[in-house]
Amino acid sequence: MNRCKLQFMLPVLAGFALLSACEQTAETDVVSETAAVELPNGMTVKEQIEARQGHLKKIGKAFKAISDQLKAGSPDLAQIQTAAATVPTEAMGMNDWFPEGTGPASGIKTAALPIIWEDKTDFNDKIGAMQDAAAKLDSIAQAGDVAAIGAAFKTTGGTCKACHDKYRKDD
Amino acid sequence: MVWDGALRLVHWLMVALVPLLWWTAEEGHMDWHKSFGLTMFGLVLFRLIWGLIGTWTARFAPMVQRIGSLNIYIKKLRNRDSGATFGHSPLAVLSVFALLLALTAQVTTGLFSVDIDGLESGPLAVLISFETGRQFAAVHELNFNLLLALIGLHITAIAIYYFVLKDRLVEPMVTGHRSRADFPTSDLPENRLQLLPVIAAAALALACVIAISNFG
Ligand code: HEM
Ligand code: HEM
Repeated sequence: MNRCKLQFMLPVLAGFALLSACEQTAETDVVSETAAVELPNGMTVKEQIEARQGHLKKIGKAFKAISDQLKAGSPDLAQIQTAAATVPTEAMGMNDWFPEGTGPASGIKTAALPIIWEDKTDFNDKIGAMQDAAAKLDSIAQAGDVAAIGAAFKTTGGTCKACHDKYRKDD
Repeated sequence: MVWDGALRLVHWLMVALVPLLWWTAEEGHMDWHKSFGLTMFGLVLFRLIWGLIGTWTARFAPMVQRIGSLNIYIKKLRNRDSGATFGHSPLAVLSVFALLLALTAQVTTGLFSVDIDGLESGPLAVLISFETGRQFAAVHELNFNLLLALIGLHITAIAIYYFVLKDRLVEPMVTGHRSRADFPTSDLPENRLQLLPVIAAAALALACVIAISNFG
């Protein structure tokens, strides 16, 4: 019985190991020298990319907190309000997070696509749209009407998607 | 009757759902992805219950026993003799278990997956943190490749039976029937679909789907 189970588990496990091995090598790409180049703002390229990814991850986390509560039968408003308040803060100054040289050519792992630097005006407009939507979401959240929060959450999410579809590499 | 109606229906619905799930995920139609995903969850659950209380050819226990004659069966295959088996052949049993395992892993991780922006998540993701949800999503993505590989293997095997061994396996999976004369013995197990177990398995699977989709 046990041996039989092993017989079909082994190929499955081997497959898993193989797949995760591929994933690993893709992630530990060689970091080129440009990573340490200092930008006009005083950060290195690596620091800049990691800083923006950190902010964006915090926004993602806040969104999950809001989405969890919106799914619940009786949402916890306080949790939504705390999370909604962090979004405008985390997104502040986003225009400045993408200086020239912080694209994939830097050798650092980033999903930022090179076309960002071909149409910086449109890119910055999209950032502005998101910041406006996030500010609105925050003020609506503090007012406390769950249905309105749900709508504002959708709108804000749409402004993320609008940019990601064009300027972020699919994961 | 080799394959009962419930088993065949579930099989072909799964076949239809996999490309739909793939496409909806790629295109970001996540509302559809989650609805189809929950449907798939229901089908997988039904199939697992059916493996315990279903017809003889659907049940897991006789399948596990068949693995014992794997070596003999492979020797027969080497001699170009597919030796029709009533139900899954010892080799097919391995394929069934691998596919069901991969499908189970796929739907389970989907229920807990969170996308990178925190905007989309499976119905059970409220139970876990953003980071854990992201890990589920990573397994969900990785395991999908495994699932595709197993599906490829499954289809290749059927093609080999068709072209090399001249054994048409698709027909019985559509019609349910295979000629009695194909089997080495006429002493076949009782394999008729019974209403009560079908209703019980379907009701149980449906109840779980409803409970999960209304979770929270
Ligand atoms: C509130 C809405 C938004 C959310 C929740 C959000 C969230 C995220 C997250 C979680 C990442 C991944 C960071 C990582 O790799 O760890 C990301 C990356 C990115 N986002 Fe957004 N984002 C939003 C709005 C925008 C907007 C409006 C733009 C463009 C105008 C944008 C452009 C990008 C780009 C280019 C990347 C890749 C950055 C990199 O990997 O270096 N995002 N975003
Ligand atoms: C056999 C069933 C399923 C298949 C074949 C499937 C397939 C996929 C695929 C191919 C992706 C894209 C992965 C990527 O490239 O990032 C995905 C993402 C996703 N799926 Fe499924 N899925 C299934 C079931 C489910 C279920 C049951 C749920 C939840 C109800 C679910 C929720 C999700 C979520 C939330 C994502 C987004 C994760 C991310 O963006 O990283 N899936 N699925």
